[in-house]
Amino acid sequence: MYKEKENSWFKGGYNFFDTYPIRFCNIVEKIFSDDMPEIFEFHASVQKIQHVIVNLCPTEPWILPNWVILEHKTAAFLDKLKEIRVRYFPDATIHIGINKNENEHIVETIDYAVSVEWMKVYKLDAKYPQDDPVILAKVILGVDISFNKDTISQGVVILDAQTVSAVYDNCILGNQVNSRFIALSGTGLKENEIINVQLGTSIEKMFKGRFKEGIKYRVFVNGPLRGNEITDLSQRIDWSINNIVALDAMDRNIMFPMFKSNELALTTNILGELRRCIYCNFCDDICPVDLEPALYYHSYGRGEKHKARLYNLGKCIECGLCSFICPSKLELLKIIKECKALDK
Amino acid sequence: MKKLLKPIEPILSKGFDRVESFIHTHRSVKFLFGSIFGAFEGLVRGTKETTQTQPFIRNNYDVKRFMGAVLVALVIGWVFPAIYFYGWQCVISKLIVSLIIGVFVVDVLWAIIAREEHISEGGFVSCLLVPAILPPQSPLWLTGLGAAFAIIFRNVMGGVGNNLVNPAIFSRLFLTICFPSLLVTGYQTPFVGIPDLHSLRYGLDAVTHATPLTAFKTSGEVASFLSLLFGTAAGSLGETCRLALILSGLWLIKIKVVNWRIPVSYLGSVLVLSVFFSLVMGKTVAPPLFQLMSGGLILGAFFMATDPITATYSQNSKWIFGAGCGFVTVLIRNFTTLPEGVMYSILLMNLLSIPIQSLMVKIKYRI
Repeated sequence: MYKEKENSWFKGGYNFFDTYPIRFCNIVEKIFSDDMPEIFEFHASVQKIQHVIVNLCPTEPWILPNWVILEHKTAAFLDKLKEIRVRYFPDATIHIGINKNENEHIVETIDYAVSVEWMKVYKLDAKYPQDDPVILAKVILGVDISFNKDTISQGVVILDAQTVSAVYDNCILGNQVNSRFIALSGTGLKENEIINVQLGTSIEKMFKGRFKEGIKYRVFVNGPLRGNEITDLSQRIDWSINNIVALDAMDRNIMFPMFKSNELALTTNILGELRRCIYCNFCDDICPVDLEPALYYHSYGRGEKHKARLYNLGKCIECGLCSFICPSKLELLKIIKECKALDK
Repeated sequence: MKKLLKPIEPILSKGFDRVESFIHTHRSVKFLFGSIFGAFEGLVRGTKETTQTQPFIRNNYDVKRFMGAVLVALVIGWVFPAIYFYGWQCVISKLIVSLIIGVFVVDVLWAIIAREEHISEGGFVSCLLVPAILPPQSPLWLTGLGAAFAIIFRNVMGGVGNNLVNPAIFSRLFLTICFPSLLVTGYQTPFVGIPDLHSLRYGLDAVTHATPLTAFKTSGEVASFLSLLFGTAAGSLGETCRLALILSGLWLIKIKVVNWRIPVSYLGSVLVLSVFFSLVMGKTVAPPLFQLMSGGLILGAFFMATDPITATYSQNSKWIFGAGCGFVTVLIRNFTTLPEGVMYSILLMNLLSIPIQSLMVKIKYRI
């Protein structure tokens, strides 16, 4: 079955593909670990699963693109999915959300889905944070799941393309899966690349010879928006790492920044001066879950952190768009997290 | 532009570094000139700060660009048309006096006395609005005084971000109280036709005419729609050419600097209420289209009521804010002795915006 859904529910959001176009090199390099590589494991849940959402709509440009896994063989990928469904989720409906710009994948998936009952296809707008579990569940299934809670307990499993393919290799074919694809990108690197790396390899080894010389760089695991900064590069790769972004720190004064937006884009510079809130409504226009982050800021500023809870604080999915867009450069996400911490 | 600036960049950068280190090592110099240097540096040089918390990348849209967009819209919306209608000598001198006294004297002195860390670029917007809402023939000192009042009021209330009412309108209220005669006269007749050197400099020499709203109040005379739209009817310096104001206002709406709800609800409520009163009371009230296009309504609706700091914050309450402005404007224009009520209506709604905002938030979140 095929359904077209284009943001029927979520307003706001931001298209990062337009702002930061990142193109990856087509050649995938393989990197081996010095030690024994770790092995991917998949445990089927005991809970009864009703819905499986396969997310083929990455919304951040530095996330591993679909073509790496699908390799222009969408039908083969869907066959894998069929086998997995038979083995692990026999009663579940499989929902596939695909980026609406990837025509090739859409056409093939729809062709496949027409003949089977258990599969539904959705065209999604690649607007951040469409791939967040809360928003995926809301847009595709129409159910509310709360942020940071296990979706399996609510009968929903969300998989990405790489996990699907690893589960198939590991559990259906019985092969050992000990490597994964990782997207390396950012202004701190010479080239944006995709590598196939064995689990357990250190990040330092992976980045050898890839950093631009003569600049100060900062490294972020799983993207600069929701990921974390790592300073210790000896950390090892595990299955949860999808991409690593190295950004130019740009911790220096730039003359005439208004003429140099290209040079400053995708760096960690704060790009402006800290000011007071000017009530510009940018944060609530962009908020994907319809909150008003400035209200939290003002509660916080008045010293009434506990009052922030009154304004639907629990709905926040911590996507960070409010801090990203704020022209006064206020640390709204940090304030939201502090107010949330008070709750517990 | 980029290529032109390239050779001077290292020299400028080095100069800034040297001045910065000098200022930071001398306390008295920092006390006097720190904020001015900071403001000037902010215009030319980017910041050094990097992000420390998630998200680690930020948009390159800052308050400077926000205010810059308003400045561009104001220059297109009123400065250029006013130069055509009243001559550059009148317009430019007022602008210079307003900006120098407002930003470079009062704001700088305030920053020194109050030990502010930086001078805000919001002062330029206020000082560009002050001459626009005064009569074309008002003396220069009145403009300077207005600019000084505007900046002082704004800073007394806590600076950009904390001001309760629009500083430019507040200073005009103050001037109306102190110098009533100067604000009801001096409405020069705009120049119409093909401009020559003389007209571009002086406009039409010292011919004054009552504003359309005053004329309606005294003799029941209604100015034509086209003369109001193109700005050939008398009025304050910046309010006459409604066409340019509407176009630049629409541009601001497009780039999301101005929230469309406020102009729509403000102009909409004026239209609806004036139609209603015209139907009920006949010719004693001004006709709807005339009300919509006359006075400072267009300037107020697109540039003053929409000031995000003094308007309400949440989106729903913006409708109430705009409608309230329209209601008060129509009431004052038609049922009091005053010909024009935009200034009072915006000031009143600025004050009421806080209770409206808190009430709407309480209703929305069911507190």
